[in-house]
Amino acid sequence: MTTVTLDAAGLTKRFGARTAVDDVSFTAHRGEVLGLLGPNGAGKTTTIRLLTTVLTPTAGEFSVDGVPCSQPTEIRRRVGVLAESAGYPGHQTGRDYLRYHARLFGLARRDAETVATRLLTEVGLAERASSRISTYSRGMRQRLGIARALVNDPSVVFLDEPTLGLDPAGQRQVLGIVRDIAAGRGATVVLSTHTLPEVEEVCTTVLILNGGRVLTVGSVADVTRAVAAAPRSARLRVPFESVDRAADALAGVTGLLVRAVDERPDLLTISMTAVGADLNEALRVVLAAGIPVLSFEVEGARLGDAFAAMTTAGTP
Amino acid sequence: MIAAVHERVGAGENATRAREPGWWLVAGQECRDLWVSGRGPVLIFAFSVLLSVITYLTATNQVLNFLEQREAVNLTLQVAVAVGVLVTLVVSADAVSGERERGTLESLLLTPVSRRGIVLGKLAAALSLWFAAFVVAVPYVWVLGRGVSVVVPALALGLGVGTLLALALAALGLLLSTVSSSNKVSLAVSLFLLLALFAPTQLPTGAPQGWIGDVLVRVNPVAAALHYVSAVLVNGRGWTRDLSYLISPVVLVLLAGGVLVAAAPRIVRLHGGVSGS
Repeated sequence: MTTVTLDAAGLTKRFGARTAVDDVSFTAHRGEVLGLLGPNGAGKTTTIRLLTTVLTPTAGEFSVDGVPCSQPTEIRRRVGVLAESAGYPGHQTGRDYLRYHARLFGLARRDAETVATRLLTEVGLAERASSRISTYSRGMRQRLGIARALVNDPSVVFLDEPTLGLDPAGQRQVLGIVRDIAAGRGATVVLSTHTLPEVEEVCTTVLILNGGRVLTVGSVADVTRAVAAAPRSARLRVPFESVDRAADALAGVTGLLVRAVDERPDLLTISMTAVGADLNEALRVVLAAGIPVLSFEVEGARLGDAFAAMTTAGTP
Repeated sequence: MIAAVHERVGAGENATRAREPGWWLVAGQECRDLWVSGRGPVLIFAFSVLLSVITYLTATNQVLNFLEQREAVNLTLQVAVAVGVLVTLVVSADAVSGERERGTLESLLLTPVSRRGIVLGKLAAALSLWFAAFVVAVPYVWVLGRGVSVVVPALALGLGVGTLLALALAALGLLLSTVSSSNKVSLAVSLFLLLALFAPTQLPTGAPQGWIGDVLVRVNPVAAALHYVSAVLVNGRGWTRDLSYLISPVVLVLLAGGVLVAAAPRIVRLHGGVSGS
């Protein structure tokens, strides 16, 4: 992870009086999966469009794999993109679609055919290669879009909401592909998403945008740690039939308040009510009582908590 | 899955480069989209039905069949040129704005093909519709013109003048399509323009008389081009005598085509309209 593949400095985009992206600077390295986070309108898609030369920056500069933004054609040869609102020509087959795009990237007819066949296999669409795209499910289209983003063997792959609208199985499949792109190909992946567990699962670093500005950039652990307050509460999930036993066991721990969650009968929230109370003690007591623990989440320790804290406050 | 594949044929060093320029690849795909699974065959079928009716009426109708054979050929040729050019304009007016709305333009903009290459490819594909319309018109002109040695000059005129008009209007349609805020706007403006250009050619008494009338004919590229065809075919004028009538179609080609090619890098973008990006 030493080679810098993406380097943005002071990237700014204004549409009239509105500033969509404001002085964005960051670097990304080979094999890295960078999560691009931010609330709606934060500037994620605009940032991706700037870095892929679809839009021209108002100010600032960037380079992709060492190629400066003054050479947009060369940059496009080095990036692959799954756009957020990508449309697909329904009358074409998956194979035709990939072959055409491979040809647009300069591959000869035979090589384009080889690349199309290989990528369709890699994203699990080999059996539907000759079907019209109009017959594909949303998940299949997303995977086809990812395959299209890879036809030019890019150094940097931008995926804008690749799991949007997919069922859990489809999401897992796409996330698996994202991991493979970074680990197997050594490409940098920029993953824009609203689904924070996805980011925690696959991203090595995160960049949080709000109002077009970078709030923070760093590893998931660093970003979470930077805003994490001292934990004050936790959520304990135990089997439904053990909830009462767990509540009874926890009632004996001083300084902790235990409450049931109405809409989730298998969940208890544990709050600290006195200085010196220890949430870990709650976990120890439950385990000591022989109650299986399905999950124990300390509030404020997740990326989602950091994200909420940052985007609400506006500053890290 | 992807990690397991290391020996790749990508766009990198080992790949064989394509010899074709980008615009040629775009044109090829656009033609396939238009002709294999698009509107091309339907439009051309409708065009051939229209020509069949016109030719039948011209040859048999008691009101129309008094026409001298050259006039019958001229009428059919003018209809062929007018309608052929119309469908070319309609297809080109959808070319960029339609892709924007279908969400397929962005993937094209993300390829190394230049934006000039993209519009040139689309222009070439739109023109294929005109050439198909012309090929369909050939037997009709041949049937009506047999025996008066007018077929070859009529076809040569139709091809030359029609191609000039098709190029001009296709470039204009593409220009409108690239700058329009929506596909609806692009198609509506194109059709209005078409009506404005064709209406004067359908005046019952022909072109207005006098120098004002002549100027009106000359400034309208469609009216001027069709006037030139009539002058050569019906009035027997020399091919070079009324060439000045082709100035406005040529100017339109140069203007619309020039602006399109020169401004393509700025106007072929993800969002249309004046505030597009």
